[in-house]
Amino acid sequence: MGFLEALNYPIYVAIFICVYSFLAIGLNVQWGYAGLFNAGVAGFFAVGAYTSAILTSPDVPGRLGGFGLPFIAGVAGAMLLSALVALPIGKICLRFRGDYLAIVTIGVAEAIRIFARSEEWITGSSRGIQNLPRPFGDLPYVYSQLAYLALVAAILLVVYLLVERQSASPWGRMMRAIRDNEVAAMAMGKDVPFRRLQAFVFGAALMGLGGALYAHLGRSITPEAIDPMIASFLIWIMVILGGSGNNRGVLAGVTIVWIIWTASEFVTDQLPMEYALQAKYGRIFLIGLMLQLVLRFRPNGIFPEFRPTQKDSRKPDKSDKA
Amino acid sequence: MNAPLQMANLRGGYGDADVLFDVSIDLGDREIVVIVGPNGAGKSTAMKAIFGLLKVRDGSIVFDGQDITGWSPDRVVQAGISYVPQVSNIFSEMTVHENLEMGAFLRKGNFSSAYERVYQLFPDLKNKRKAIAGSLSGGQRQMVAMGRALMLQPRVLLLDEPTAGLSPKYMEQIFQISRDVRDTGVSILLVEQHAKQALAFADRGYVLAAGRNRFEGKGSELLADRAMAEMFLGG
Amino acid sequence: MLDFINFYVVPGIVTGSIYAFAAIGITLVFSIMRHAHLAHGDMATMGAYIALAASTMLGLPVYFALLLAIPLTAALAVGTDKLFYEHLRKKPKILTTMSTLGTALMLRSIVQVVWGVGTTSYAKGITRPNDWFGLKIKTNELITLLALAVVVLGLAAFLNRTRWGKAMRAMSDNRDLALLCGIDNARVITLTWLIVGGLCAISGFFLGINTEIKSMMGWNIILPAFAGAILGGIGRIEGALVGGLMIGLVEELSVLFIPTEYKAVSAFAILLLVLLVRPRGLFNGKII
Ligand SMILES: Nc1ncnc2c1ncn2[C@@H]1O[C@H](COP(=O)(O)OP(=O)(O)O)[C@@H](O)[C@H]1O
Ligand SMILES: [Mg+2]
Repeated sequence: MGFLEALNYPIYVAIFICVYSFLAIGLNVQWGYAGLFNAGVAGFFAVGAYTSAILTSPDVPGRLGGFGLPFIAGVAGAMLLSALVALPIGKICLRFRGDYLAIVTIGVAEAIRIFARSEEWITGSSRGIQNLPRPFGDLPYVYSQLAYLALVAAILLVVYLLVERQSASPWGRMMRAIRDNEVAAMAMGKDVPFRRLQAFVFGAALMGLGGALYAHLGRSITPEAIDPMIASFLIWIMVILGGSGNNRGVLAGVTIVWIIWTASEFVTDQLPMEYALQAKYGRIFLIGLMLQLVLRFRPNGIFPEFRPTQKDSRKPDKSDKA
Repeated sequence: MNAPLQMANLRGGYGDADVLFDVSIDLGDREIVVIVGPNGAGKSTAMKAIFGLLKVRDGSIVFDGQDITGWSPDRVVQAGISYVPQVSNIFSEMTVHENLEMGAFLRKGNFSSAYERVYQLFPDLKNKRKAIAGSLSGGQRQMVAMGRALMLQPRVLLLDEPTAGLSPKYMEQIFQISRDVRDTGVSILLVEQHAKQALAFADRGYVLAAGRNRFEGKGSELLADRAMAEMFLGG
Repeated sequence: MLDFINFYVVPGIVTGSIYAFAAIGITLVFSIMRHAHLAHGDMATMGAYIALAASTMLGLPVYFALLLAIPLTAALAVGTDKLFYEHLRKKPKILTTMSTLGTALMLRSIVQVVWGVGTTSYAKGITRPNDWFGLKIKTNELITLLALAVVVLGLAAFLNRTRWGKAMRAMSDNRDLALLCGIDNARVITLTWLIVGGLCAISGFFLGINTEIKSMMGWNIILPAFAGAILGGIGRIEGALVGGLMIGLVEELSVLFIPTEYKAVSAFAILLLVLLVRPRGLFNGKII
């Protein structure tokens, strides 16, 4: 086995870390900056993955598609459609406190999953969509993987810099002001619902981007891939463990959580058959427990948002007192 | 004259910033004391300080010789101080009678006499016992709020702007009821917007501005004070 | 006409009763603790499995098993509150909502590890419906409706007649004022979780007895249950009852118009519609 082949697995893990980083940064824009609890990340991930798949895959009789557009068009379409799906949801829910958004986004993700499984003529139902183009797909496996990693990492860097710049801009400061004290921000004449809608839609677009990159990685997308357990809940833990509001913290969170997650799979795979299955379900316990532990012991994450002016990152909820 | 409630040199606020800088208020036995001052002066905040709803960083609150600074609301109520907040001061989805019942939540044993007393003070409420409190008129809601606060037979009653938004007729009625309540042995501290009427009606008054005591004295003296009148009573 | 009632209305009302049990619990948590309880479905699943274990291991008749599952699930609900939610009380409520999601995953995982992911049922064999002049209703369905009536009336009596029931309403109505009245918030919260846990067991049990028992059964009713609670108006028991029943009926009737797969989506569509046009719901509930 050559040196490069030994890198197969690490490269594979690294690609996944990058792909999930888009979801996590998207969620960070929504939760970390705007305080919006989107519990249906998987839904926006799915919209992105399927959109890009439909736009770029070859024709299959009986199914919408055959556009054969290039990768870049698929990715752009994915971001656009995810944003478009987020828009009406945000419009309906952002008038209320966050809990309503949580319930509705769970519903959206569920509806999208059902749609993906049922609408054969659009999504290929359980067979999904195959034969997506993949950048550098013609290279030998390891090189192809390396090149894809480089591509995804480059896009991630661009997104990261963009979001960071946005976060340091007056827009970002205003978003945090709204999150921390909505009443005061409203009193200062900020259009709070509109700003939150912006953050929600922008975050959703990034999730769509992550979905597209995921689909092109495996050259296919099936309903199994949009399992909320990973694409929604695991992403949540990545974000809050890493430190909501802080993009570098979030990237660290993605890395740590994904490594723990894949390592735990390693462990359960070693178990004898009859336990392996149970252990697989036991890993869900791990997700739930991690969420509880972070909320309890590290509510601001391992790498809290840097806030020179405030000691406590979140003030008690004002709306409770009304 | 022993003063059941003494706030001395209070400093504190909701978060890290102070709202009160130096506020001192005494309330004597069977006394009606009014706090007036411009909006945002910290009048409501001073009342909330008594109820432990505030971070008090300096100064003390003494009730009946006992330091109650920083006590939790239920301990303060138990000790004998009742509070009618400025807003959302009733259980609007519950009946008038249930509001009174919640006011007496901490009381053990039979308290039918407490209902009697409250209904005597507020005869209007008696026919409305079964009405949903939120459906009543503004003046009646204020009566429910006061009645609820009186159910524990407190020694001190705090009223935050009890006449806000009420017609002059209701205002007079609320003042009259306050006197009746005082005559049953309760000391009353109230915040008022209608400074002139309130100072005329109260025994003593304090003027608060920007989180500090500005003037204090007998109601009639404050009304006569030129400087005070120019600044706070619109000349 | 009778066929229409037998095939759509009766199942709709039975499903709706199960949603109503769940929606009542959700509305209590929402109005008193002021956060969404995303573990509601999985706690119902847990209650259903506890009843299953009690009936198989102790050989109890299923309805006796339910009577055992109710207090155990209630204790579980109080336990999760003490472990996971209590320390979040003074923080933004949305963090507690997130925490309930963590609880949901943990409960589901426990069910899947202990009992697996297969489907099972309380009693083997098919029960034939009773036939009343053409109206076909199974005994279990009748008991479900009866239980709903008992629970709603009992809860209403508790909330309207007893001291602690009124304290619960007071806290739902105006929490700060409840504090100023000296009402012990912590006790009201514990009491509420006891009731909510019991309701979870009941809804999970009746879901299991009318359909089947499986690890995702509870999570699958979380959207219709929330839809029922919001449609009725948050904080309104009678609203959750009517809302739950309506959602059940709509779901069963929806198959006349849309493909069966989208049955679950119809409840979600109603939820969106209510939020859009009448967020206080039918009975003018709260907006948390
Ligand atoms: N719950 C609160 N949190 C933070 N600041 C508050 C709160 N309530 C009042 N304030 C601020 O404290 C100051 C004094 O308010 P308040 O005591 O209500 O004034 P008033 O004399 O009109 O009753 C105001 O500047 C107000 O903005
Ligand atoms: Mg005030």
